[in-house]
Amino acid sequence: MAIPVLSVRELSVALRQDRDYTTVVDSISFDLYAGEVLALVGESGCGKTKTAEALLGLVPPSLGRVQSRRLTLGGTNLADLPEAALRRVRGRDLSMVFQEPLTALDPVFRAGQQLAAVFRRHRGLSRAQAREAAIDMLERVGFADAEHVLRSYPHELSGGMRQRVVIAMAMACRPQVLVADEPTTALDVTTQAQVLDQLTRLAGAAQTAILLITHDLGIVAQYCDRALVMEDGRIVEDAPVARLFAGPAHPYTAGLLAAARGVSS
Amino acid sequence: MAAVQRLWFRLRGDRAGMAGLVIVAVFALLALGVWFGLLGQEWAAANGGRWEPAGPQYWFGTNVLGQDIFERSLYSVRTAFEIGLVVALLSTALGAALGALAGWYSHGWIDASVLWLKGVLDSIPFYLFVAAVAFALQGQPWAMHVAMIATFWTGTGRLVRAEVMKLRTREFVLAAEAIGLPDLLILLRHVLPNTLPILLVQASIAFVAAIKTEVILSFLGLGVQHGVSWGLMLAESTQEVLAGHFNNFLAASLMLFALLLGFNLLADALQDAFDPRQATQ
Amino acid sequence: MSSALRTILNGLALILGVTFVSFLLMVWFGPDQTYTLIGKNATAQQIADVRHELGYDQPFLTRYAGFLADLATLDLGTSNASGERVSRMLARTVPVTLALMLPGFLLGNLLGIALGLAAARRRGQWSDRLISGLSVSGMSISFLIIIIALQVLLSTPYGLNLFPVRGWQVSDLPSYLHYVTVPTAALVLVTLGYNTRFYRAVFVEEYGRDHIRTARAFGASPAVIMWRHVLKNSLVPIITRFLFSIPLVVISGSLLIESYFGIPGVGKVTFEAITSGDQPVLKAVVALTAVAFVLIQLVADMLYRVVDPRVA
Repeated sequence: MAIPVLSVRELSVALRQDRDYTTVVDSISFDLYAGEVLALVGESGCGKTKTAEALLGLVPPSLGRVQSRRLTLGGTNLADLPEAALRRVRGRDLSMVFQEPLTALDPVFRAGQQLAAVFRRHRGLSRAQAREAAIDMLERVGFADAEHVLRSYPHELSGGMRQRVVIAMAMACRPQVLVADEPTTALDVTTQAQVLDQLTRLAGAAQTAILLITHDLGIVAQYCDRALVMEDGRIVEDAPVARLFAGPAHPYTAGLLAAARGVSS
Repeated sequence: MAAVQRLWFRLRGDRAGMAGLVIVAVFALLALGVWFGLLGQEWAAANGGRWEPAGPQYWFGTNVLGQDIFERSLYSVRTAFEIGLVVALLSTALGAALGALAGWYSHGWIDASVLWLKGVLDSIPFYLFVAAVAFALQGQPWAMHVAMIATFWTGTGRLVRAEVMKLRTREFVLAAEAIGLPDLLILLRHVLPNTLPILLVQASIAFVAAIKTEVILSFLGLGVQHGVSWGLMLAESTQEVLAGHFNNFLAASLMLFALLLGFNLLADALQDAFDPRQATQ
Repeated sequence: MSSALRTILNGLALILGVTFVSFLLMVWFGPDQTYTLIGKNATAQQIADVRHELGYDQPFLTRYAGFLADLATLDLGTSNASGERVSRMLARTVPVTLALMLPGFLLGNLLGIALGLAAARRRGQWSDRLISGLSVSGMSISFLIIIIALQVLLSTPYGLNLFPVRGWQVSDLPSYLHYVTVPTAALVLVTLGYNTRFYRAVFVEEYGRDHIRTARAFGASPAVIMWRHVLKNSLVPIITRFLFSIPLVVISGSLLIESYFGIPGVGKVTFEAITSGDQPVLKAVVALTAVAFVLIQLVADMLYRVVDPRVA
């Protein structure tokens, strides 16, 4: 039995609203194995994004409370790490790609600077070395004119291009796990395919496991090995994709599939 | 209106805001008391000795003329509310009117004129403008109010204009236009009521600004001419404190601070209540 | 139409408006100086002569046009009250006002930025609430109260008695510090509440943006986030606030502070001119103010271009 690269046990996230807490992620557990693409499916508002943010420790105490029994990445329990150690993990061993490419990058710095910053921070490269590494990475995500993208400001790039820059940043250090939160929802259909192809190809080459959050069952069918179905903060089904589509065990999954088929037919 | 009920519910949870509301209510009651002749009527009587210290007869002592400082502070509450209410209500109304017109006919000549007027008024240094208006309308007790209204409306105007521009494209407005309702009616009955939150907050801010401005104007001799106000008391006290007599200063300062703090807390709470995203929590 | 050209045209329209309103108030409705110049026992002919000389007998538009012409040619004339050349008055008083107001203005903004940043960074925690509470209190205290209180505390025997109560006998650095400290402290205390409140809101908004989340997700430390990302992205509103509050703080504030502390700067001179109807001085101040505004606008546009790559 393979050892999972990411192991989550009883992860809960409760958000603050004035003085009360509302549970949005209710004690979920799952494993992610090296090199696989695991889908996290569900409707909007079921807690997918908060799960992703909790994994990276991006839920501040003022916003909510995160609890887990275990949250291990390659053997280290992330929940036990002090903030300074967590910062070393973020972007290096565990990275994330977000849903809104248009606002993900800092508008006052060039794309190249932001990509190079990841190299300098986590690999200790010099300015010149980081620049070379950045160009190389940009070529790997499919940019024909990497130098031009390097010099460009985010507002000069399209949504799809910006997302590929973020993917470059996320894959820069060949992380063990990449969490992709609806990375293509905001893009048009052709670009979606391009970006997802790049992403899965890169991850495959680096043996990076992907947790792909999506509500699009078509994407699940095409790119993913296994799928977790989430409803109201709980995981209701956990199965290889083929089995899921053939015969879902849980009524909610069946409902999702039916709805998807209804739309496409 | 359901919106008002929701607002009240949110406001109740904001402790600082409720404290502010209580403070303002207390002061408002005092003002009413003075207005109806129940309090502070002896503000002009010079019965005491010079600079008597605080005691059982004169709670805050007396000033250089032997007048009761406490009585004068009480009367000043009325003065403050008069100025504050007049300026707050009229400047907010003017701002709402001009802002609504500018926003409704946006990018037209009405809008351009209102924006130009706003720019001009915002560009003129405030106290220069007020001093000039007060001087030009010399002797008129309303000079100060006019000057303030003429400059305070711009803040409200800007916000209302932006809001009206946003509301203009909403369905209920388009529907009203489709039915054939005249523009003015739509503005008055459908659009402006939706700007009520903005107006309430702006009115509170204007109240605070008006009182603070009166203080400075009275110091410069351009403010309150009849009666007494905290500004006049402070102006009196400027020389007194150098000789060690602090009662006038303390009485006016403390009451002024309390009222302004109350209104500021209330204004903040109103703002938070209307826009939960910006709650300082 | 290029943006610079548009700015200048707007500026001109603004100047026209400002000068018109100022002319209306200060000159047209201003005090009649005829009698101050002649005295009470003048003959009708003398009165008519003086009025003609002062231009009182001309129609509105002619006077306004003359006003504008004088402004445009920088013919500032001589003060009616003191007989001094207005340009010399300005040369004498403007530096004083700048030396008086700039330290307080700068400090008030810098502290406001620092406190606003500290509060936004720890939003919702006790330090944020403390700073916000102090800001609201600061906003609730009248300028006059602060000035009087500082005077008592710093300049009288009832307090520290370290600084002068009034005046401006400045000849070197120590004497400058001696006279500028209390006014500067007053200015800082008055503006700090408002500034902190404003800057805090700007920074809170910036901290909530998506690209900050990205930076965190890639391991940036709180320090890097604050200095590199939040501050740089907030420069546009900071610059706007800074530049556009100059008129209010420096010009209106100088009126008050100079009157109170008896400091011979532009504000004091302007106030005296308003109350005595000294038109040449008023014309000059109006011109100065209008030009300052257009300059501020131009500087702001330039700075935006430098600071934010999205501004064309």
